[in-house]
Amino acid sequence: MSQLNITSHSEIVHFPKDGKPALGQNEWQVWSGSQDEGGLPDLEHGAHKVLVPFTWWLEHHHEADVIVKAKNGQIGVWFAADDDILKHADVIEAGKTVWPLVAAHFPIFRDGRSFSTAALLRGRFAWQGEIRAIGDVLIDQLLQGARVGFDSFALRPDQKLDVALKQFDLYSVTTQNSWRGSRTTRATLSV
Amino acid sequence: MYKYDAIDQTLVDQRVAQFRDQVARRLDGSLAEEEFRPLRLQNGLYHQRHAYMLRVAIPYGLFSSKQLRTLALISEKYDRGYGHFTTRQNIQYNWVTLEDTPDILAELAKVEMHAIQTSGNCIRNITSDAFAGVAGDEYVDTRPICELLRQWSTLHPEFAHLPRKFKFAVNGAKEDRTVLLCHDVGIELKKSSASELTADIYAGGGMGRTPILGSLIKRDLPWNVLPSYLTALLRVYNRFGRRDNLYKARIKILVKALGPEEFARQVEGEWDHIKNSDDNFTQAEWDRVAQHFTKPAYKALPALSNEQVINLATEVEKAAFARWLERNVKPHQISGYASVILSLKPHGTVAPGDATTAQMYAIADLADHYSFGELRATHEQNLVLADVEQSKLYELWQEAKKQKVSLPNIGLLTDIIACPGGDFCSLANAKSLPIAKAIQERFDDLDYLFDLGDISLNISGCINSCGHHHVGNIGVLGVDKDGEEWYQITLGGEQGNDAAIGKVIGPSFYADEIPDVITNVINTYVAQRNSDEPFIETYRRVGVTPFKDAAYKNAKKNEKVEKVIDGGTA
Ligand code: HEM
Ligand code: SF4
Repeated sequence: MSQLNITSHSEIVHFPKDGKPALGQNEWQVWSGSQDEGGLPDLEHGAHKVLVPFTWWLEHHHEADVIVKAKNGQIGVWFAADDDILKHADVIEAGKTVWPLVAAHFPIFRDGRSFSTAALLRGRFAWQGEIRAIGDVLIDQLLQGARVGFDSFALRPDQKLDVALKQFDLYSVTTQNSWRGSRTTRATLSV
Repeated sequence: MYKYDAIDQTLVDQRVAQFRDQVARRLDGSLAEEEFRPLRLQNGLYHQRHAYMLRVAIPYGLFSSKQLRTLALISEKYDRGYGHFTTRQNIQYNWVTLEDTPDILAELAKVEMHAIQTSGNCIRNITSDAFAGVAGDEYVDTRPICELLRQWSTLHPEFAHLPRKFKFAVNGAKEDRTVLLCHDVGIELKKSSASELTADIYAGGGMGRTPILGSLIKRDLPWNVLPSYLTALLRVYNRFGRRDNLYKARIKILVKALGPEEFARQVEGEWDHIKNSDDNFTQAEWDRVAQHFTKPAYKALPALSNEQVINLATEVEKAAFARWLERNVKPHQISGYASVILSLKPHGTVAPGDATTAQMYAIADLADHYSFGELRATHEQNLVLADVEQSKLYELWQEAKKQKVSLPNIGLLTDIIACPGGDFCSLANAKSLPIAKAIQERFDDLDYLFDLGDISLNISGCINSCGHHHVGNIGVLGVDKDGEEWYQITLGGEQGNDAAIGKVIGPSFYADEIPDVITNVINTYVAQRNSDEPFIETYRRVGVTPFKDAAYKNAKKNEKVEKVIDGGTA
């Protein structure tokens, strides 16, 4: 697997669909899957919930203990920017019943593939749970992320939380639909 | 012309506030330059050779006299007294500061303008026919669709960080004046036999390092499903466009790698899932937007013959006025009216497409007096007054002369498209403006230019092709060899319905050879042409060889240098 950038702020920005932006503690460890010799990282110590790479999930999701841990709320998956999620639609459909959380990774802030991943998870797969943005997540991506379907953000450690929280109400109008709602330009017209 | 509603206005105002905050964070150091870069680019702010450059959007090239006055004011107050109209119907300022930019954007917002998505790896300003709504050969007025697409693409969250920039052009006339096939997506609007508005979609065109003409990937798409179809198309590109290599990241490379059929199939596969979504445009949206593009208050006027119009001029001026009518005045849909092109290419000009502050103010007045206060920017970097009464053409011509925008060289050899090149652009390999100037000086004889007829000559300072050299009948491309500026010539390029990519004729030339090379090429055309045959047709008939032989007949220097480079001697 290529270089990953998955360290994050200790606090997560949550922005539920019909709620307000707020901070919360990060309970999830993002695992790169690279130290795979001993299987899953030790879930008893430290952060006790782990996001595993989707490619790892593809290999291991038939294992009983993996499913049990996922159902216990301890294992979620994250999608790399180049994961073709449509190729694995069946696995995702099945995963929907067990994953407590999914995430999509930004290898660098200006790589927008994960915006389409989130849009597909919401639109095509009707995923209702949380979708977290991880990786090189910067303040100025939050608004776009929120609109395509992300509702939690693990910012890069150097990002300022107070500035981040202010991003979501920069705009009171939109000119295209998004996961959060219909475009203002349409809502004001009788269809 | 489109008029912002409260939503549009709120959006641009909030955009100004957002950018002001981003600039403040950049200036206090909390936002690193590398991370600020894509943000400022999405707001049209480049960092160039000498200073910041700001590109302001003129959506589909249509703007008002009031807006032009603001553009003039910005050139005066924040720049150095001029603005540069571009091939994509925008205007650029070459000397702005980062600190001033939020204030400039606030000035623009007051007149319903912005710089959103004029650069960066997102959906760029949508371009169209400068004569939309008035052209005699138009079958669909493209402006309502352009406006709907402008809104749909503005701050689109999913496509804010595409692999590369993404350019749409929309055409609705018999003659393509949009270079449709050189765009990432070309939208050709048509009326079906049942009078339904539909679109043919071409994808994967572009210039740059790998020039490719777009391929037809969808026929007869109903107008209202454009958003869902384009979402599907952009989603495929966003997910699978190459990001590992800047030069291979454009959609043209993806379409070429997959083949147009396979690309179309993937788009269709995605579209199947969203084609009935409420992303699609509604009739109510169309109605709201289209009401702004109804005809202005035209008078009922008799159509004047060319002779009658020429007779408006004094005896001594008749010949010159007739020339201007022939080249700079275009037929109109409405009897008694015509469209006028103001040439921003006077010979010996500083840069093709430049307008000074004073010219901008004066042209705004002309628009008020002669054309319902509206203007258009053309892809060839000129300006258009679209709705001029034929009986006022003579009067307007005299006014245009005072502003030095009356040169009757539209479509002629000196109506050069040129990028800013090495004088301004940090990516340039060579200068382009002095080359344009030298060619204009060489071909300063209007009689001769008229005799040569339609010829396009386009110049780019590097392979990025901002000056569209690939589609010039004669193309000049700046290349770098061992730190020296050289120029490569292409021939046979063409924009419009018979769009073609020009072919490189051989080794490149020194700057000071270019006027001779062009002269030799032109002399060859004159010697070879059949009576009224335009340059491009002669070229197609006789082939490249005679032109090539002529171009190299006195080119000694480059042979020597070429040998040095190849053989590594000396
Ligand atoms: C001065 C700063 C400028 C910069 C840094 C710049 C940058 C670039 C780059 C990198 C490309 C390459 C696109 C590719 O990969 O194919 C390009 C192409 C292009 N640029 Fe510029 N440009 C500048 C000025 C302009 C100007 C002044 C114009 C118009 C007059 C313009 C309009 C275009 C157009 C139309 C293309 C055509 C390429 C295509 O259609 O594929 N740019 N520019
Ligand atoms: S063609 Fe090259 S030199 Fe000219 S403006 Fe574009 S990037 Fe700059």
